[in-house]
Amino acid sequence: MAPSRLTAQAAGVNGKTALRFLLRAFGAAILVLVIWRVTTVGLAEGYPASFWISQALNGLVLGGVYALVALGYTLVYGILFMINFAHGEVMMIGGIAGFFALQFSQSRGWLEGPWPVVVVALLLIMLFGMAASVLIGITLERLAYRPLRQAPRLVPLISAIGASLFLQYSVLLIFGVSPHSYRKPALISGGMRMGDVFIPYTGAIIFITSILLMLALYFIIQRTKLGRAMRAVAEDRATASLMGVDVNAVIVITFMLGSALAGAAGVMLGFHNTVVKFNSGFVPGLKAFTAAVLGGIGNIPGAMFGALILGLIEAIGPSALGIPTEYKDVIAFTLLVLILIFRPTGLFGEVLSEKKA
Amino acid sequence: MLILDSVHTYYGHIHALKGISLTVNQGEIVTLIGSNGAGKTTTLNTISGVLPARAGAIYLQENARSGGPPAHPGRANDSDIRLDQLPAHQVARLGVSQSPEGRKIFARLSVQENLAMGAFARADADGISQDLERVFQLFPRLQERLSQPGGTLSGGEQQMLAIGRALMSRPRILLLDEPSMGLAPILVQQIFQIIREINAQGMTILLVEQNAQAALHIANRGYVLETGNIVLSGDAQDLLADPQVAEAYLGI
Repeated sequence: MAPSRLTAQAAGVNGKTALRFLLRAFGAAILVLVIWRVTTVGLAEGYPASFWISQALNGLVLGGVYALVALGYTLVYGILFMINFAHGEVMMIGGIAGFFALQFSQSRGWLEGPWPVVVVALLLIMLFGMAASVLIGITLERLAYRPLRQAPRLVPLISAIGASLFLQYSVLLIFGVSPHSYRKPALISGGMRMGDVFIPYTGAIIFITSILLMLALYFIIQRTKLGRAMRAVAEDRATASLMGVDVNAVIVITFMLGSALAGAAGVMLGFHNTVVKFNSGFVPGLKAFTAAVLGGIGNIPGAMFGALILGLIEAIGPSALGIPTEYKDVIAFTLLVLILIFRPTGLFGEVLSEKKA
Repeated sequence: MLILDSVHTYYGHIHALKGISLTVNQGEIVTLIGSNGAGKTTTLNTISGVLPARAGAIYLQENARSGGPPAHPGRANDSDIRLDQLPAHQVARLGVSQSPEGRKIFARLSVQENLAMGAFARADADGISQDLERVFQLFPRLQERLSQPGGTLSGGEQQMLAIGRALMSRPRILLLDEPSMGLAPILVQQIFQIIREINAQGMTILLVEQNAQAALHIANRGYVLETGNIVLSGDAQDLLADPQVAEAYLGI
């Protein structure tokens, strides 16, 4: 029996090498195609520099929002080694909640008031969205993931996809199919002009808010007792519990932090896209997941930079490649395929430890 | 101070501990010796609450808390705390601190952060800095490496960090799992010297070791574990002299 098993194994190894070769050839072909398009089409169009700059700024805004969502994926992965595929829906529910808070503020006339009132109202709208997302996030953890903590790793993943669909269609059922439109208060409409580049106020506010939230998260993780406990749990759950760390509590807090960021992202995306509906979390969720993988999943700075890079590529890509903007989603997911072929651990990725692999 | 009363532990269907009973009194070093797979680490992890005991009881004696001698040494009482009902983090918070097998240093946390993790459940800043001083006195090497990631330390330094980290909770009882594992003989000697020193300062210690010789030399009493059963127990000196023990565990 032994020799035949050996040959079967050898065949398996050969099959794997062949497959890897094919994938790499495929990846290389895509890269060549991209370079060809950029040089023959994108650069040949001769857009002015200001055009590229405003595209890039737009990309940074979107990238900042992706980063907030990507951090949620990466935080949860860092501790539970699972992809929370319902995270995009957690963000969408933040957006929906934010919409109702916005509507309430409008009905009270807060958004036409003096600027401090408007700023406070906007903050409250965002906090309301964040609170809604946190509520959904911890409910998911408790009902959909914790009972499966000991199960094989594929099982919580399936549960996450189920939760994603459940949340989407619950929102569809409750709030209907038509999009809820975010109306910007006059204070943050318009923008400023720097040379030939136009910077909308919403974009600037979204970018700055995203950066501030990321810095806050980074501070919590690196400089506080709670963050230290989170990092310890991510490394070794059992040993952390020997130190008196309540691992379940840390996991819940991790979901809360990730969901709060997603809720903020949901509200900001509402202002950016001007609408939110039951499926507006799905594609941005996948993009943020792509960003997290691009940076190296489980790596916090990786998620931030991966998302900014993805935002930039998505914003500049269509013009650089000379393809219609409607196809920009293709760019993100092609990028995902390329990373998985050439650098599965991501740009900032470390070698996966045995436990995670 | 710590009493195990016929404790049974399972890994799935594998019956790993088959009714372990043992006692650790205040101020003692008690060692648990035995070969690989006898259940030594399982015993410590059951005490710590990492593994659930399926039958039997584990008591932490109530008045051991105040540091005074227990009113009824070696005998469980209704006022004692049942550890076997508690999750690991609560056992740790009651003052049972473990330095685990293989050291289990948080590799990406700095030495300082590792020590801070040991004091996680504490809020008394003054007491924490006192204990930090004490740990640095015991292990001056750690002070030189404070900002280095735990994973970059040598094996001996990691062992020092693991013991230091366990001391940072100011425990009532210290569980040490194979502190000599993988260390050069000179380091083993040093670590055992320090264990004795910690004990001389008043710490109660349950020491799990494969290096039976060294362990019995510093211990007051010992238990010999074999495939999930305690087969022999007694004063450390008597066990050292026991021909059965000598043949099986001392390599004489």
